[in-house]
Amino acid sequence: MAMKKKRYALVIDSRKCINCKACVVACKAENNVPIGNFRNRINEERKGEYPKLSINFEPEQCHHCAEPSCVRVCPTGASWQRKDGIVLVNYDECIGCRYCMVACPYDARYFNEEQGVVDKCTLCSHRVDKGDTPACVETCPSKVRVFGDLEDTSSRIHELLSTRRYRVKEPQTGNGPQLYYLL
Amino acid sequence: MGTIRMDRRLFLKSAGATAGAVAATQVGCLKYFKKGRSSAAETKEIPTTCELCPNKCSAIAVVEGGFVKKLNPNPENPKSRDMLCARGNAAIKQVYDPDRLKQPMIRVGARGEGKWKPVSWDEAFDFAAKKLSDVKGKYGPEASLWSSTEGFQEVFFKNLGLAFGSPNLVRHPTLCLASVNLAYSATFGTVPSFDLLNSKFVIMSGANRFESIITPDTMDLIGGVMERKAKLVYLDPRFTVTAAKADEWYPIKPGTDLAFILAMIHVIIAENRHSKDFVAAYTTGFDQLAEHVKQYTPEWAEKETEIPAKDITRIAREFADAGARALYYAGRRSSWYQNDFQMRRAQAILNAIVGNWDQMGGMVPNAKLPKGEFLFMPWDEPKAPRVDEVQKEFPLAAASDGVYLKLRENVLSGKPYPVKAWMVYKQDPMNSLPDQSKTLKMIEQMDFIGVIDVQMSDMAWYADVVFPESAYLERTDPVEVMPGIWPAVVYRQQVVKPIHDTKPNLEIIQGLAKRLGLGDYFDYTIEQWVDAEFKDLPIPMAAEHMKKHGVWAATGQPSYGKTLTPDHRFVTKTGKIEIFSERLQEAGYDPLPVYTAPVQPPGDRFRLILGRVGYFTHANQSNNVWLHEFMKENDLWINPKPAERMGIRDGAYVTVTSSVGSVKLKARVTEEIRPDCVFMLHGFGKKSKMQSLVYNVGASDAVILETAWDKVSGNAAFHETFVKVANA
Repeated sequence: MAMKKKRYALVIDSRKCINCKACVVACKAENNVPIGNFRNRINEERKGEYPKLSINFEPEQCHHCAEPSCVRVCPTGASWQRKDGIVLVNYDECIGCRYCMVACPYDARYFNEEQGVVDKCTLCSHRVDKGDTPACVETCPSKVRVFGDLEDTSSRIHELLSTRRYRVKEPQTGNGPQLYYLL
Repeated sequence: MGTIRMDRRLFLKSAGATAGAVAATQVGCLKYFKKGRSSAAETKEIPTTCELCPNKCSAIAVVEGGFVKKLNPNPENPKSRDMLCARGNAAIKQVYDPDRLKQPMIRVGARGEGKWKPVSWDEAFDFAAKKLSDVKGKYGPEASLWSSTEGFQEVFFKNLGLAFGSPNLVRHPTLCLASVNLAYSATFGTVPSFDLLNSKFVIMSGANRFESIITPDTMDLIGGVMERKAKLVYLDPRFTVTAAKADEWYPIKPGTDLAFILAMIHVIIAENRHSKDFVAAYTTGFDQLAEHVKQYTPEWAEKETEIPAKDITRIAREFADAGARALYYAGRRSSWYQNDFQMRRAQAILNAIVGNWDQMGGMVPNAKLPKGEFLFMPWDEPKAPRVDEVQKEFPLAAASDGVYLKLRENVLSGKPYPVKAWMVYKQDPMNSLPDQSKTLKMIEQMDFIGVIDVQMSDMAWYADVVFPESAYLERTDPVEVMPGIWPAVVYRQQVVKPIHDTKPNLEIIQGLAKRLGLGDYFDYTIEQWVDAEFKDLPIPMAAEHMKKHGVWAATGQPSYGKTLTPDHRFVTKTGKIEIFSERLQEAGYDPLPVYTAPVQPPGDRFRLILGRVGYFTHANQSNNVWLHEFMKENDLWINPKPAERMGIRDGAYVTVTSSVGSVKLKARVTEEIRPDCVFMLHGFGKKSKMQSLVYNVGASDAVILETAWDKVSGNAAFHETFVKVANA
């Protein structure tokens, strides 16, 4: 039976982010991320002068790009992309050259000193393959991230992207990022 | 941001040439490296209940090969709203913390010196029982103090204190929420929940709900503000995350919230915008209120609060127009100012007159669920009066919780009688009480101190004997009913076996009780206790259900308006909602909230204000390695204007001095605070070397906070300390 084509992505409603860091710790536990390294983060932008102030929080992780520059530059093919769009590192083939870290426009990768390989967000592919959502999506108190399959026209992210305005970060890179930030 | 990234990328690009050589040496070992978990290990999913803070969220523990791998939110508990915060996720590191207490220990050096002898449980029990018996023999059982913070196994600790014969149980409420609880009880006869899921207009002061996470309030409010277009008006001297998300933020002059509320009531009554039907049917004392608030005009309040009169008037109108779906949010930690009770009571009155009681989107009396009770052998009630003289000094306060700061004063003075033994469960008075030097004096004058805790808190560090409790993931606890708009029953069951020589609190209590000749009162197992509680749950196969699901909650929508019937009697003196309170008047307090302006800091000083961030709310969390990564050291927030005047630079160390102590910490020069305040986060500057990540790092607010309390509830007033700041 032919599997229906999938394209996983995240839609992010940053306005709902309260910078509580639940997603960061959940990721750490789920993926054995070493102390000092992070697969996701919350960017902060603080502006203004007292009392006219603003703070914006912006969760970010691997954008699982349509045309991932990390995959393009990898000399061994360790960085690769699944048919469903998830960008992964094959640790057995990674030689730790870190070209991919340079190529990533989003600073989404880190070098795992313990294991001598580059690592990054896997969109919790091991959970997704069982039908679960990524750990960062599930644990979030304010449900900032919506995970889903863009090819599935009945999915919540499909609905959000067809009814709401959104942006992607650094579209000029041509990477085709798949983290969609609602406006 | 962009430039930082560019620098790093440039660096890596230039390093790329050499990276190949480095990489070549790694290829060899990588061949043998396989990532991922061992597939042979058995994976189990066990539902349980989080204990990192008081919210009691339902979690599902993923256990692989006997190791807690992950905690996932359990969607079956409506109160925890299918989430687990950073603290909840980091609970794994509470179990696998190398700093953990691993076996009982008896102090061998001076108190606080940190010299310990690991001992057997028998030795620890014998030692403590002898010391407690000595104190009892010399001074009577009332000379023992039993202090604890809420937890599912706290009941056993309290019961041992009572069976021992001491009236002196002292709990955390007067360091936390005693004033808000008492204010709402005095008005409505109960403490309601706030239906933020459905409210349309929320005013919040004395609460920072997007950082001090409370379930389901935090989640419901962010959804309300961002998705359902509810309006949030927020008052805080600091630009918090809540301020950033609010529709309107007013950096109110600290301690003047009562003036703002009274002026709102003034406008609503003067413009006849209150809910007349509701006020007539369910309240008493409205006419006295109308007369009383005539003096509190918005123009007057502007001078007190620094919030423009036109905004106060407009907010009052919008609030009254939202009526039943408008909320002045009560807050949880209400240990702020010495008028805190009256401030929270004014909130309660404001809520009452717009008729939001027991309405969707308003205040809702908590629904409860039944559970069974284990019947244990009863003991004689302690005979002596309480050492904190609660009944005399705070006649309306919850006597069984005690008034912590008055208690400390009395223990230090030895009046009305000496207290010489101190047992502590799951509490760190060294950090949770203001004026640490006084707590140290209290410690010094004790003949005996025993602490039961998961980790070596600062209090444990000063103890004579430390009993290591098993972490929550290693224990089965009593069943807990969580009342609320969406009530639930939760169960905490053992997820993994204790990895060290620790015991659940019940077994520690039993060990002590047996040696104190009180064993009969504790002659049961946790399983018997829990089975008795399961029996009255309104579900078939309750035990099986709770073990499988960890939670039970009623399905369907909450039912609003149950108390809005002509024959409903509120649990107050008059049976009505008491706007004017005769009970307060009889006890010698203002029957309606009267404003007195708070003292403001003199020119060269700042008011020290406290608060929390989402990943640290309690002092026991700062040594958690996964949370510590977000903040390695606390700092002092100071506005650039005074900082510039005083030559204080961002990131430089400053000394912060009050009348009771002095600390050194880094300055954070930030626009996000009023120029007359400084702020620091709780939980740093530990004295315990077994809090290795935060030992002597940053500073503890407890060192510089002065002792002050709310007159009615006895709740600590943590925002009444003025400090000098100077370059270190």
